[in-house]
Amino acid sequence: MTAERSQTYASSLLGVARSEGAVTDVEDELFRFARLLEGNDDLRTTLTDTGLPVSRRQQIVEDLLGGRANPVTTSLISMVVGTGRAHDLPAIIDELVRLSASEADREVAEVRSAIELTDDQKQRLTSALEAATGKKVELKVIIDPTVLGGLVAQVGDTVIDGSVKTRLQQLKTAF
Amino acid sequence: MRFRTRAMLASSLLAVGLVAFAPHASAQEGEVGPSEAETEEAAHHLEEIAEENGGTHADVECIPILAEGGSVDDCQESPSPILPATDELLWGTLSFLVLFFLMRKFAYPAIKEGMEGRSERIRSDLAAAETAKAEAQGVLDSYRSDLSGAKAEAGRIIEEARQAADALKKDQEARLQTELADVRTRATADIEAAKAQAIADLKGEVAQLAVGAASVVVNKNLDVATQTQLIEDYINQVATKR
Repeated sequence: MTAERSQTYASSLLGVARSEGAVTDVEDELFRFARLLEGNDDLRTTLTDTGLPVSRRQQIVEDLLGGRANPVTTSLISMVVGTGRAHDLPAIIDELVRLSASEADREVAEVRSAIELTDDQKQRLTSALEAATGKKVELKVIIDPTVLGGLVAQVGDTVIDGSVKTRLQQLKTAF
Repeated sequence: MRFRTRAMLASSLLAVGLVAFAPHASAQEGEVGPSEAETEEAAHHLEEIAEENGGTHADVECIPILAEGGSVDDCQESPSPILPATDELLWGTLSFLVLFFLMRKFAYPAIKEGMEGRSERIRSDLAAAETAKAEAQGVLDSYRSDLSGAKAEAGRIIEEARQAADALKKDQEARLQTELADVRTRATADIEAAKAQAIADLKGEVAQLAVGAASVVVNKNLDVATQTQLIEDYINQVATKR
C-alpha cells in the first residue's frame, strides 16, 4: 500500500473516531492492536488470508475484541479487514496516531514496558519525556514482555533505552 | 720431338753405311789366279749344270765358293751371327726406310696426335684433379670451419642451456621459498585467526551462559515491586536528562 493510501485510510478512521467522541481510547486501542498484529504471526496470517471468507475474518476480529475494546475500535478494525487491507493495518494505525498527535501539535512517544503503567507513571513519564526532548508528546504504551524490566521510549528518532533486556545485551557485549 | 726424330734417322743411315760399305776381308787379300770374269762365268755355268741335274739351292750357292778356290767346308760355313748378307742388309735397309717413311708420314702424326691428346688429357685431368683437390680442400676447410663453428655453437648452446637451467633452478628455488614463506604466513595467520575465533566463540559462549544465567536470575527476581522500581528509576533518570 502506498503512503498516500495509508494516509487516506488513517484520516478516515480518525474522522470516524472523532465523530464517535472516543478518539483517545480508540486511538490507544488501535495502537495496541497494531503492535499485537505485528508480534503475532498467526493472527496476521489469519487476517490476511484471502482464502478465508471476509465474514470469517471479521468474525475473528469480533471474537478477539468484542467486549474488551471500544465498539468503535472493533468496528474500524473489522472494516479495514473487510476491505482486504489487514496486511496494512499497522501502517494505517501508525499513520492515524501520528496524524492525531500532529493535529494536536504533539509527537508520539512509543513506550515499551513489561508491565502496565499506572496513570501517575504515565503522567510523570510524559512530563519527563517532554522535558528531555523539548517536545509535547502523546504517550503510547506497548506491553512487551521481551523488555524484561524497565522502559524503552522512542520519540521521533530519539530512543531512550532503560530496559533490562538492553542492559543484559550490553553485558553480553562487554564480554 | 723433332730432335729425337732426326737423331733416329741419322743413326739408322750410319748403321746402313757401315754395313753396306764395309770391305770384305777376302777382297783385301791379293791372290793370283783366273780373272774375276772368268771365275764368274765358270761359276755361272756350274750353277746352271747343278740346277739341270737337280741340285739344291745349297749346291748352287756352293759352286761359286768352290770356283773361287774354297773348300766344301766353306760352303757349309754358317752365316755371321752379327752381319747379315749384303742383299738382306740392302732390302732390310730399304724396307726400314720405306717403313720409316710410312710411319713418319702416317703413323707418327697419328701417334703424335694421340700422344699429344693423351698428354693434353692427362694435363687436363691433372688440372681437373688439382682443381678438384683444391675444391676438396676448400670443402674440407669449409667443413672444418663449419665443424669448428658447430662445435663452438654447440658449446654456446650448451652453456646457454646450462645458464638457463641454473636460472630456472634458482627461480624455482626462490619461488618455492616464497611459496613456503606464504604458506607459513598463511598457516600462522590461519592459526591466529582460528585461535582468535575460538577465543571469541568461547567468550561468546561464556557471555551467553553468563547472560542466560543472569536473565534467569533477573526474571526470577523481577517481581512487581522490582518492575515498578525500575520504571520509577527510568522516569527519574529521563526527568533529570535535560
